[in-house]
Amino acid sequence: MATGGEYLSNPVLGTRLQSLVNQNPELARVSRLTQSPGSNEVWLVELGQGTETDRASRPALLVVAGIEGNDLAGTASVVAWLEQLCQEQSTNDTIRKLLQRVTIYALPRVNPDAAEAFFAKPKAESAVNSRPVDDDRDGLIDEDGPEDLNGDGLITWMRVNDPEGEYILDPAEPRLLVRADRAKGQAGAWRLLTEGRDNDGDMAWNEDGPGGVNLNRNFPFNYRFFAPEAGRYQVCEPESRALADFVVKHPNIAAAFSFGIADNLTQTPKAEPPKRPPVALHEQDADYYRELGKAWRLALGLTKELSGQTAPGTFSDWMYFHRGRLSLAARAWSPALAVAMAQSQTNTASTTNDSAAGPSPALPSASEPAPKPKASRPAPEPDKPDTASEEERAFLKWADAHAPELFVQWQPIQHPDFPGQRVEVGGWAPFAKTNPPEKLLADLAKRHAKFLTDLASRLPQIELGSIKVKDLRDGVFDVTLTIRNTGYLPTALAQGEFSQQVPPTRVTLLLDDKAILAGTKRVMLGPIAGSGGSKEVRWVILAPDRQRVEVEVVSALAGTIRTHIELKDTSQP
Amino acid sequence: MTWQTDLPVAMCQPQGWLDRNVPAEPAEPSRPRPVTAAGWQTGARSWLGNGTPRRLRWPGWPVGLTLAWAGLLVLSLARLETPAAEGDAPSAIAGDGLAAHAFTALGSPAQRKVNVEWNRFYDSAGLATILRRLHEAFPQLTRLYALGQSVQGRPLWCLEVTAPQGPCPAARKPGVLAVANIHGNEVQGGEAIAYTAWYLCHQYGQLPAVTELLDHYVFYLVPTINPDSRDYWLQQPGTPSNRRSGVAPVDDDHDGLLDEDDVDDLDGDGAITQMRIKDPFGRWKPHPEFPEFLMVQVPPDQLGEYTLLGSEGLDNDGDGRVNEDPVGGYDMNRNWGWDWQPDFVQHGAHEYPFSLPETRAVAEFALAHPNLAAFISFHNAGGMILRGPGREGGMMQPADDRLLQFIATQGQKILPFYRSMLLWKELYTVWGGELDWFYGTRGVLSFVNEIWSRRSVDKGPTPPSPETEATFLKHVLLGQGLVPWHPFNHPTYGLIEIGGTRKEWGRTPVSFLLEEECHRNMAFLLYFASQMPRLRVPEPVIESLGPGLFKVSVTVENLRLIPTRTAQDVQNRISPPDIISLTGPDLQVVSSGRVTDRFFKRVEPVKRRPERVEVDAIPGTGQVQVQFIVRGRGQYTIRVDSAKGGLFERTGQLP
Repeated sequence: MATGGEYLSNPVLGTRLQSLVNQNPELARVSRLTQSPGSNEVWLVELGQGTETDRASRPALLVVAGIEGNDLAGTASVVAWLEQLCQEQSTNDTIRKLLQRVTIYALPRVNPDAAEAFFAKPKAESAVNSRPVDDDRDGLIDEDGPEDLNGDGLITWMRVNDPEGEYILDPAEPRLLVRADRAKGQAGAWRLLTEGRDNDGDMAWNEDGPGGVNLNRNFPFNYRFFAPEAGRYQVCEPESRALADFVVKHPNIAAAFSFGIADNLTQTPKAEPPKRPPVALHEQDADYYRELGKAWRLALGLTKELSGQTAPGTFSDWMYFHRGRLSLAARAWSPALAVAMAQSQTNTASTTNDSAAGPSPALPSASEPAPKPKASRPAPEPDKPDTASEEERAFLKWADAHAPELFVQWQPIQHPDFPGQRVEVGGWAPFAKTNPPEKLLADLAKRHAKFLTDLASRLPQIELGSIKVKDLRDGVFDVTLTIRNTGYLPTALAQGEFSQQVPPTRVTLLLDDKAILAGTKRVMLGPIAGSGGSKEVRWVILAPDRQRVEVEVVSALAGTIRTHIELKDTSQP
Repeated sequence: MTWQTDLPVAMCQPQGWLDRNVPAEPAEPSRPRPVTAAGWQTGARSWLGNGTPRRLRWPGWPVGLTLAWAGLLVLSLARLETPAAEGDAPSAIAGDGLAAHAFTALGSPAQRKVNVEWNRFYDSAGLATILRRLHEAFPQLTRLYALGQSVQGRPLWCLEVTAPQGPCPAARKPGVLAVANIHGNEVQGGEAIAYTAWYLCHQYGQLPAVTELLDHYVFYLVPTINPDSRDYWLQQPGTPSNRRSGVAPVDDDHDGLLDEDDVDDLDGDGAITQMRIKDPFGRWKPHPEFPEFLMVQVPPDQLGEYTLLGSEGLDNDGDGRVNEDPVGGYDMNRNWGWDWQPDFVQHGAHEYPFSLPETRAVAEFALAHPNLAAFISFHNAGGMILRGPGREGGMMQPADDRLLQFIATQGQKILPFYRSMLLWKELYTVWGGELDWFYGTRGVLSFVNEIWSRRSVDKGPTPPSPETEATFLKHVLLGQGLVPWHPFNHPTYGLIEIGGTRKEWGRTPVSFLLEEECHRNMAFLLYFASQMPRLRVPEPVIESLGPGLFKVSVTVENLRLIPTRTAQDVQNRISPPDIISLTGPDLQVVSSGRVTDRFFKRVEPVKRRPERVEVDAIPGTGQVQVQFIVRGRGQYTIRVDSAKGGLFERTGQLP
């Protein structure tokens, strides 16, 4: 059985998932959630014992990868984790018990169209599905894509020596380019573009390539109309719509984890008092995010926070702000992570303690305009003065040492769009900054798996606490029922309550209205805190002809209890 | 002899009617006079007329008596109305139908190929039938298709109305989309749109204003986008405001059950009215002037008589609340993508934008029709012409707002009792509504009309008081719509009373004013549509610059108020720019540009592909001038390609 050490093409992914089911028919199910515009399958995996109804009544963890089209490492990790879980459940008692009380829903690759670009020739980094989109709004569709001008089988970058350019060569590392700072007297000398020709003659290069919509910009929270790759409206694509409908139809999803550009684990976002419409992490949920962030960094071997981020319209933000569930998100891999992991492996003594983390940036507010990427696809990360250059230099150093194929040496070419000008092709290879060299995948997948299994074990879980019955004679009984949450997470987060998306825990006494002297047949309980939090429900009933009475407790996220109360005084032996 | 007898004649004959029709004889007490054959003959003669032949006279008096009684029965049942007079047989009434004897009153078509009564409401099948009949009667002017389907599978029918001819092809004419009834109970917009379709079809070729409209523009008329709830509201007992939602189930009260506690017609009278209970500590008492149906609040220092319990219903799910989880539970006018917010910010928003098949179908239709330049949606009630944005700080470019205000102000003249209003500021905040989506994402000017103002009841300067409305109900409607209070034994409340007004009172027009609302709202829609871009390309001015070299000055005029692209459209590049191009088999455009100042002859040159000049928009009641420097000869073709302005070509010869 493979150990997550390879990138998976769509056919290989399908085969691997099919094997998973064949080898674990009692535990695993695979189905097609939907089909992409490029006619590729979007697979859904369910892990859990019993029937679909059983699985739907248990607390569930939803894991999503490949929703950012250029995330293939996340897909590899999720598949490896699922395989590991199935293997372990027959040998490891803890895992077996875990899979009896929780359900795992996994979508290893939400955007199969984009993943094909990884295996295509030439290899081009793409984050979008195959929906034809007029990206530059000029009335023509997909008319200006990239070209492999130097024939190396990769779509990389071009730099054009041009006094109207906005870049200069990085003085510390001339293979890299930095923006010229006119205030510092730096005159621009280079243009930075993706490799290709200006097919539609509009003086913009490769601004309208094939595709498409980035599904991780297509969700309703903080959605940006007119943003590149966001789609015509929220949840407009079959992939995103199918995922949204799945979430709506499975209210037992207590927590979600997604790989993508959004990251609230490597760094915990700033929390604030809640607002309508919501803008920031609910201050009463911050502690959970903080603790889980620590667990994540521990699994990765990080000793301190790196920088987190988000983007408009991500799935993970929608799951938290609109659906009220715990929603964790992280990049499967990043240049900063590569450098930090290499550092922590060489430095045995860590210089900074994880608990003294630096200040966290707030999530981008709805009023901020979306950053306009200068080059076409993929958008370079938003520039921060100096820090970005430092990070890039550090990463290039790392690449030189560990994976030199990630940076293609600049080579001059003759470019018909720039007659008489010096043009060089090279720079970062496609996927260099978003997916690790394949040889690093196995180790990364192990770390991810450790965290995901840990997360699955933290879902809320209601259990029966104590039952107290007082016999008040003549068939009158005073009954007190305690419901306890033995899971780590509460039965609803503060945002779950605030958004009204997590219905209250419902306790129903299966007795006629007339027989209830005090209390109501149906009781709605507010959130029950995790780690042993509990709530009491009390009735006084008249049941002279009964020995027992049935009671049902339904929690949206924490499972269901069906039990009965013996009508015998519990204070007597 | 009078007809007032002990026989089972139909009840409720007004007294005066009988008196009027009795021949000149002394009035009889209400007992039959003893009848003889002779007496009967006398009576018969007076009834049938003096010239009755002898053979019709009754044979003998016993038989005659029997026959007389039988005759009385027959005649009384027949309830003949016309007074006895010569040559008055019913066969004298024209038998060739009413249409031949009907003449026009201004405001409606003279000829009616399709007859519709505009003083009643139609369910979705009824509206569809009207559209189908119009399409069959006017196949050249119409196309009929569905935008999509509702939750329960009812088609969202659209009648597309335009002339087969015009300055540009039908699909390229500027288009207006008119929809109604997004809220199931807000029914009268359906009639207004069906009326618009009916009027346009019949008046094309008859009324120059309509002919012009259909030659230049295309109308997409969708009478109901919530047919499920429309039918539910019309066909089932209800209140004026229920069935607003669609019918997809929602667990409103979070008890794990769906739609389990709706209103109930407890007394089986086909109406959902109000429940009240006698209560000395209640805050209500019957109105002194209209005690049968009006209630009034008592001052705080007095004991009252009744507590109001709400709409007729039961606690169907035993949770201590009545009618708290009706069918549906969302608002399709909060389900649109622009400025959409989830349910806890905006009640009724449902799961995510366009999560409902109806809203999604309309949005996809709009996206597939880039020629849409205007949008209107009919709701009820209140007498309003609403413009966006739906929330404070929402998107509205000042230039576009000025256009909307101008058009709405004109609307106030067409629709008395209607006010032009800014939605968020003068009504309430709406996140995710139609107005914002059509304007924000499509750059289309949009209105919502709330049809029916209460002021129509007494045509007063202010909304009528409850007493004024009660007078109207009692004396103009003759009590139709009133349900007098009557006792009922309620399983929870005990002895209560049920009564009030029917669902048709309050938000929907009364029958004889419904046609007025249809016509006037149509008139506003037509005015709005008439202001969509009307492009005209006059003869270009051609100046010779040398042998085979010419300066061709092309002007594109917009004769109407709305520019080809609104400010929102231009800023966000929603539609492509307008393109003015010049081509010819034997010519080449050397240089071109937009003339930015026609007096001082400033030209903004085009950088590349000079044969096509891109302009942001042709401004409303304005023009754009473009200059082409051309080398060559022979035929030229000027082409104006504007997504919302239309596609126009003009050919000519270089001199």
